[in-house]
Amino acid sequence: MAQTGSVVTYTGHLYLRQRLVLAILSGKAIRVEKIRSDDASPGLTEYEISLLRLIEKITNGSVIEISVTGTAFMLKPGTIVGGSVVHDCPLMRSVGYFLEPVIMLAPFAKKPFHLNLRGVTTDDNDLSVDLIRTVTLPHLQLFGISDGLELQIKKRGAQPNGGGEVHFLCPVVRQAKTLNFIDPGKIKRIRGISHAVRVSPQFSNRMIDSARSVLNRYIPDVYLYSDVYKGEESGKSPGYALSLVAESTTTAMHCSEAVSKPGETPEDVALGAAHALLAEIRRGGCVDRKHQSLVLLMMVLGSEDVGRCRMGEPSPRTVQFLRDVRDFFGTTFKVVPADSDGVPNSHLIFSCYGTGYINVNRTIT
Amino acid sequence: AAITFNLGRRNRRKDWFSLIYSSSLTPRQVLETNPSAEAREVEDDLDDGDFFQLRSAATTVDDTDKTKEDLDPEDLKQWSDEELLDSIRHLFITGDSGGDHD
Repeated sequence: MAQTGSVVTYTGHLYLRQRLVLAILSGKAIRVEKIRSDDASPGLTEYEISLLRLIEKITNGSVIEISVTGTAFMLKPGTIVGGSVVHDCPLMRSVGYFLEPVIMLAPFAKKPFHLNLRGVTTDDNDLSVDLIRTVTLPHLQLFGISDGLELQIKKRGAQPNGGGEVHFLCPVVRQAKTLNFIDPGKIKRIRGISHAVRVSPQFSNRMIDSARSVLNRYIPDVYLYSDVYKGEESGKSPGYALSLVAESTTTAMHCSEAVSKPGETPEDVALGAAHALLAEIRRGGCVDRKHQSLVLLMMVLGSEDVGRCRMGEPSPRTVQFLRDVRDFFGTTFKVVPADSDGVPNSHLIFSCYGTGYINVNRTIT
Repeated sequence: AAITFNLGRRNRRKDWFSLIYSSSLTPRQVLETNPSAEAREVEDDLDDGDFFQLRSAATTVDDTDKTKEDLDPEDLKQWSDEELLDSIRHLFITGDSGGDHD
């Protein structure tokens, strides 16, 4: 797999995480230039450097060179080691920012992951720990990564001061299974987690009530759980959020989330989340929009067979991800509209021939 | 000729494969383009001939590397419309099949 001598070069800081993941998995060196070079504060940000440090911790033999100005860096990836790692995440981004790329790498490590992350557990930018636990990890199970896969939320931490802590456990696999997921099914139940830290626990119930007012018209099986964290466990800042998951008869999942902002009532937050969930359901497909790249990546890494998956319209990130995959793995996806059943819709079928990626790092037991 | 035939046959549809892999559009543009107007407009933009070029608007929008998309209040407001709410009922097991067999 390792093709030394070839360096994939990008400009700009966008899509940094997915490119780092692809570089490490493919073993190709990556160089990123002109990172915010025209910006008032040029170069890598604190959280991006922290991410590079985290990558250094979970791999062995990675070489990272950052230019003096911080506007360019180069990563020569090593092998993914895993094992027990502790990392303090900067409070500018939630732990989701760091966890998302790690989840893509963890199944292909040498040793099972025991990753401890501390920081903000829920924010506006990245998947919250609730969504990762209830939606992202089940998506990995589609590829045969399931035993011992777990995310424990020890403490919650809202912005700006954080104070949360999560524990991520992931088994190692030899190879990802080929995916064949074309039937989106129908939504059979909706689950949700509402939490409120350092504010009245009543806020959590108010969110649940108003989310129900929207969702109960569709389906009776709506169970929203109020997750209470007290004292030390509730972090250092006040905040509340609601995350929703809709599951279909074929275990396709769609999720949404809304986080408290200053001046918003719990009702506003809950309605935002509920309406976003309906929008997500309307887009349809077998895979949640925020998880398209994860699923596509696992399809590329799957065994040497054709994997297929039905999705709604790709997000901008996904489009760029498809291009980046070609740069690193040479794999292109076939994208065809999915209206063979006579009903016109915006669904697409993504199919590709897996590269047969085998986890060579894994210790043989 | 084969390509034009293809486009004609399914005129309202994007050719996702070539948009993704063989165009130089940014991902956001890929999603916004119309099947018909797409390539031409971009070339026109490039041929403006101005010596100074305004920095493209794309760099001014919030371009943080983030997974969740911002919830657009306008988009969400439309969900107070009863018709729209009913239009997705067939996606739930409790709804009737809404005309499409399953």
